[in-house]
Order: sequence, then C-alpha cells, then structure tokens
Amino acid sequence: MLEVKNLMVFYENAIAVNNISMTVTEGKITGVFGANSAGKSTLMRTISGIILDQKKKQEMKGGERITVLGSITFAGEDIIHMKPSDRARKGIILCPERRRIFAESSVMENLKIGGILATRSQAKKTLDYVFTVFPALKELKKREGGFLSGGEQQMLAIGRALMAQPKLLLLDEPLLGLSPLMEQMLVKAMHGINKQTGITTIIAEQYARPILPIVHYGYVLENGGAVVEGTSRELMKNPDVKSAYFGL
Amino acid sequence: MMDILIYGTVNSVTFSLIAVGFTLVYGVSRLPNFAHGALYVLVGFMTWSFVNDLNLYYPLAIIISLCIASLLGALIYRLVLIRLRGLPTSEIIASFAFGLIILEGLRLQGIGGFKGFIGPFYVLPAFVDAKFRIAGVLIDAQRLIIIGGGLAVVILLWLFTHYSKIGLSLRAIAQDEQAAMMLGVDSDRVAMISLALGAALSGFAAVVILPLGNVTAEAGYRVLIYALAVCIIGGLGSWGGAILASFVLGFAMILSTSFFGAVWESVVLVGTIILILIFKPSGLLGKQKELEERV
Repeated sequence: MLEVKNLMVFYENAIAVNNISMTVTEGKITGVFGANSAGKSTLMRTISGIILDQKKKQEMKGGERITVLGSITFAGEDIIHMKPSDRARKGIILCPERRRIFAESSVMENLKIGGILATRSQAKKTLDYVFTVFPALKELKKREGGFLSGGEQQMLAIGRALMAQPKLLLLDEPLLGLSPLMEQMLVKAMHGINKQTGITTIIAEQYARPILPIVHYGYVLENGGAVVEGTSRELMKNPDVKSAYFGL
Repeated sequence: MMDILIYGTVNSVTFSLIAVGFTLVYGVSRLPNFAHGALYVLVGFMTWSFVNDLNLYYPLAIIISLCIASLLGALIYRLVLIRLRGLPTSEIIASFAFGLIILEGLRLQGIGGFKGFIGPFYVLPAFVDAKFRIAGVLIDAQRLIIIGGGLAVVILLWLFTHYSKIGLSLRAIAQDEQAAMMLGVDSDRVAMISLALGAALSGFAAVVILPLGNVTAEAGYRVLIYALAVCIIGGLGSWGGAILASFVLGFAMILSTSFFGAVWESVVLVGTIILILIFKPSGLLGKQKELEERV
C-alpha cells in the first residue's frame, strides 16, 4: 500500500531521516518506534506531505533549508512532490503530534471540519462510528476544543482524522502525556478501529510497550535511521530493543 | 438623545461594513489587504460608469462590479501575495502598491480619451429616495439600508462560516493552517477565496454607503485607515472585536460631533484609538494566539 524507499530528509546539514525504506501492508498496523529526535515525526510529516509546506515557508523566509530525497509510493503512485492537501484527498491523513485541535471550534465543529473531504452520507456514517468508538465525545459535543483534557483532545483528533475518510491513517505520538488508564483505552480503541474498518495505520510512538502488542510490523529508528525492524514478536524478543526501548 | 442613538448606530454599522472584509481576509489568511480601500472606491466608480456610460440597470451594474472586484481580489492573491505569504512587510507593501495603482489609475487623464475620475461629479443614486421618522428622528432610507445591509452581512457570514464546507475550511485555516491541510484543505485556494470574498464585501460596503455622498478616489485612503483602525482596536482577526470596535468608534464620533462640534471628530477618533491601545495593546478582544498547551 505504502512503499518508502531510501528516504532522506535534511534540515540544513543536519540529517533527520537517514535512508529509511519501509513497507506498509494494507489493512495492518505498522509501528515506528524511537526516542526523541529519532526522526519519527519528520518521517510522518514527510509521508503526509506537511514537510513540503514547512519547506516552502522556510524558503520564502530565507530560513532553514529543508531537503527531501528518495521516493514514497502510495497505491502505485509516486507522491513525493504531491501537495499535502492532495495527499489527504488520496486518503493519507495525519493525526499530528500534540493533536492540534481547532481550539476555538466546538467538538462537533472539529469533526465537521474533519469531514470536509467526505460526502454527506460518509460524514454521517463516520460521525456515528466515531461516537460509538469514543462515547465520551458525544457528551462533549458542544465543548470548545481548547477546553478539553489531553485525553479528550486525543480522542477528538483521532475522530477528526477518521472523518476525513482515511485509507492510510498516520498517528503521531497518540499517547503523548496521557495517564496509563487513558493510554490503555486509546490503544484498545486504535486496535478496534483497525480491526473494524480495516484502515491501514502507522503509529509512531516513543514508548513502545503499550503499542507493540497491536502492531503487525514495526521499525525502530535511531538518529534518523531504521536500526531494527520485524514483526511485533521479533521486536519483543530482540534483546537490544528490549533493554533500550521497552524498559523490560 | 434618540438621534444620537440612531445616527450612532448608522455610523457604527458603516464602520463594521467597511472593516468586515479586511477582518475576514486577515483572520483567515493573516494577509493584511492594503488594497481594501482601493477596491471599495473602484466598485463605486465601476458602478457609476456602468450606469451612466453603459446605461445598465442599477442592480445589474452593482452585481457586475462586485464580481469584477472579487475577481480582482483573487487575482491579487494569485499573482502577487501567493509569493509573499509569511512576510508581513512585503505583503503590506505589495498590496498597498496594488491599491495605489488602482486609486491613482482612476485619476489618470488622457489615456485613450479617459478623462479620469476627478472632482465631485460622481454620485451613486440612492436605492430608495424617501425619508422616515423613527421615534421622532428624521432618517433617510439609505441609512436604514446601511443598517439592514450590515445586519444581513453579519448573519450571512456567520451562517456561511458555520454551515458550508468552504466556510468551515476558512475557519479551519484561520485556526491552524497545517492541521487544516492534513485534513485536505488547500490553503492557497482558501486564501484566494477569502480575498475574493473580502473584495466583494468591501464593494458591497461601497454600494450601500456611497450613495450618501460623492465617489472620490481620495476616499480609498480614508476607508483603508478606518478598516485598519477598527481591526486593530478590535484585535486583529477577531470578528466580534471588529464589530465591538465599530460601535465604540461610531458612538465616539457621534458624541464628539454633537457635544463638541464636527471639528473635533477626527481628534476624538484618533484619541479613542490611542486610549484603547494604551490600556489593551492587543485590542478589545484580541487573543493571545498561543493557547495554553494541555498534556
């Protein structure tokens, strides 16, 4: 479904993503793990194309030079130069790090904005689905996005991304700063969404332990490069990975 | 007393109408459109010209002028501002230059027999020529149309931005451009639409307000300054703030005129602006853009 080949991303001369190649299987969850500054977010931003917008803005300002090399193939088409909004139209939806909820809009309006790409019937169906997965959101319909707790915001961010009818859902650090209880609930929800809808998903997380059981295949990044990859069982067995990332 | 209330409201709504297009564009795309006043005047002259030179039906002339204005707004974005986004100083200079070309172009003489729009000869007819007496105050129909038009614009814009897909994309881009892009909103397209809409709104203000006086090119500068004043006092990009600021300025003006005389009008206007900014530098309803992060 998604094929990343020899992807390199530079900020000026600093390398953020170093020669990463990865394959994402249709209908499965793929994990991307690594510490801070390992290149997870840059990878996600590059797949979703937001990096191109960042690049354009930096170029206008005469600021940091961003370079993207390599190829990203989605459903048989090379998308590395495609605008982010066009990629979203093709079904690549990023649920960004720190959630980026529309703070002045209500929960309902956030979901409506998420559904801009959807047809009326798709939007209606997905809205019902989002409320079954996250019943808490239904109660908070009228609340402004800025007044939600971190966990509620994360649920809303995932719901909003689902409204955009993703074929490939990119979740960047969905568990950032959440309580263990909320963490558990979200992991279950993400697993359920994948099982029920079959949406291909990539989850980038720093803390792999709660995510690992639900991923099909995972990559461990270090300093921008993929150092280890394998199925979730292989990763769990790998002694280096175990000690460094899972705290086992 | 009653006349202060009524004429104050007319003044305030006039300010709102003038400022709403500017606020919309700035709120959505952070682009200060300094060609705003020029578009206002241009619509006035185009309408006049269509009615008097081409003998078009008045409402049709208005509609055509508004269409041309929004096209021009879109063009300003497509040709110039798209290359400058994120560079506030360049945006101001470029859009102001565009406005200057329009305003000074209107006064050019002698090219292809064009006589230039100079002097007090250009008057748009009032929609309805009548006077009413409301609560003992004499008021002409055009001023009532201004109030009605202002109200209609606010209501329609609210509905548009809350219930249509394009309106929702405008609001999304206004709040977090990149997050909106991730959901499939094309930022350049939305910014272009916002400029087109802003231009049409400035033109609409022109056709309802201008029948009260002459159409002159100089008015373009004054309109721009009013729009800026209202937006800065209200808090840049805040719609509610802009409306509130319009009422503050509108009533400050009418009060100064009726108590101190018309000479004080501009002094009181500027004084109010300075006072508000001293006590609330970000404007009446200006928000700190960074919301506290919740983790």
